[in-house]
Amino acid sequence: MSFLLHSPLEQFEVSSLVNLQLPVLGYTNISLTNLGLYTIIAVYLSLAFHFVASNNKSVIPSRWSISLESSFASVHSLVKAQIGAANEVYLPFIYSLFFFILFANLSGNVPYGFTVTTSIIVALGLSVTIFLGVTILSLSLHKLHFFSFFVPTGAPTALIPLLVPIEIISYLARAVSLGVRLFANMVAGHTLLKILSGFLAPMFTSGIIAAVVTLLPFTIFVALIGLEIAVSFIQAYVFCILTASYLKDAIDLH
Amino acid sequence: MLASAKIIGSGLATIGLAGAGVGIGLVFGNLITATSRNPALRGQLFAYAILGFALAEATGLFCLMMAFLLLFGV
Repeated sequence: MSFLLHSPLEQFEVSSLVNLQLPVLGYTNISLTNLGLYTIIAVYLSLAFHFVASNNKSVIPSRWSISLESSFASVHSLVKAQIGAANEVYLPFIYSLFFFILFANLSGNVPYGFTVTTSIIVALGLSVTIFLGVTILSLSLHKLHFFSFFVPTGAPTALIPLLVPIEIISYLARAVSLGVRLFANMVAGHTLLKILSGFLAPMFTSGIIAAVVTLLPFTIFVALIGLEIAVSFIQAYVFCILTASYLKDAIDLH
Repeated sequence: MLASAKIIGSGLATIGLAGAGVGIGLVFGNLITATSRNPALRGQLFAYAILGFALAEATGLFCLMMAFLLLFGV
């Protein structure tokens, strides 16, 4: 198997592109890694999309403006449906979260691009930060009444000592599951593509007849890339809708 | 010895993905049934189906992560 020499997980390694190493203050190492570069690219693409779609403030929208307005309307309706009309304070946060994760995922679908969200630190960092923020928000809004969230309404009194630890554990698991869902989807998709292309590339380069015959499994590979693009959109959408749902739980406590 | 145990372990771990397949099939099967009962709710039901698909897929991918951890991690 050709990939025993190069594991399909090697594409996720973070390597330094430009670094500055100084033996000062202990050992200072300031480096721009490929993860840092692609984070900058994701932020740049989000900002650039909004600049292009602002269309020089002309009244008649261009296609970019229409796409931006429709995506804004989708995120706005998502936030309103989940949190409720009075809580649009959270719309900028969820909107920027959606666009960052979307452009980060899509940058990895470009060939030879690096997906920032395949780093467990990025995915778990986002989800644990959101979990901590939501918990602190709920504690500040409800003070000690927050702990009534763990007692489900209408539970028989005898079962409460059994249910409360389960509820607490499932609440704590939200932090992990939100990030690992995004991470695992991205890593699994890219690993599958790497394994398949590890089979297709030698087949393409071994003779003209083999190259023509390989076009058939290659169409399956192209369909999988289409699936990966759909999964990028779906994972960004699901991350945002679950964040909005956790915010609603924090604000309304049921 | 350890290498073959890793390979066997990761192969056993991927059995858990059957659950993901069943779950996703259930979600979209019920979407088709629900849309046939009330075609007017198609957009809203599709949004819920995508959410349910992502949650079911996530559980399957937790299992796939364990398989990769056994195969490529020590």
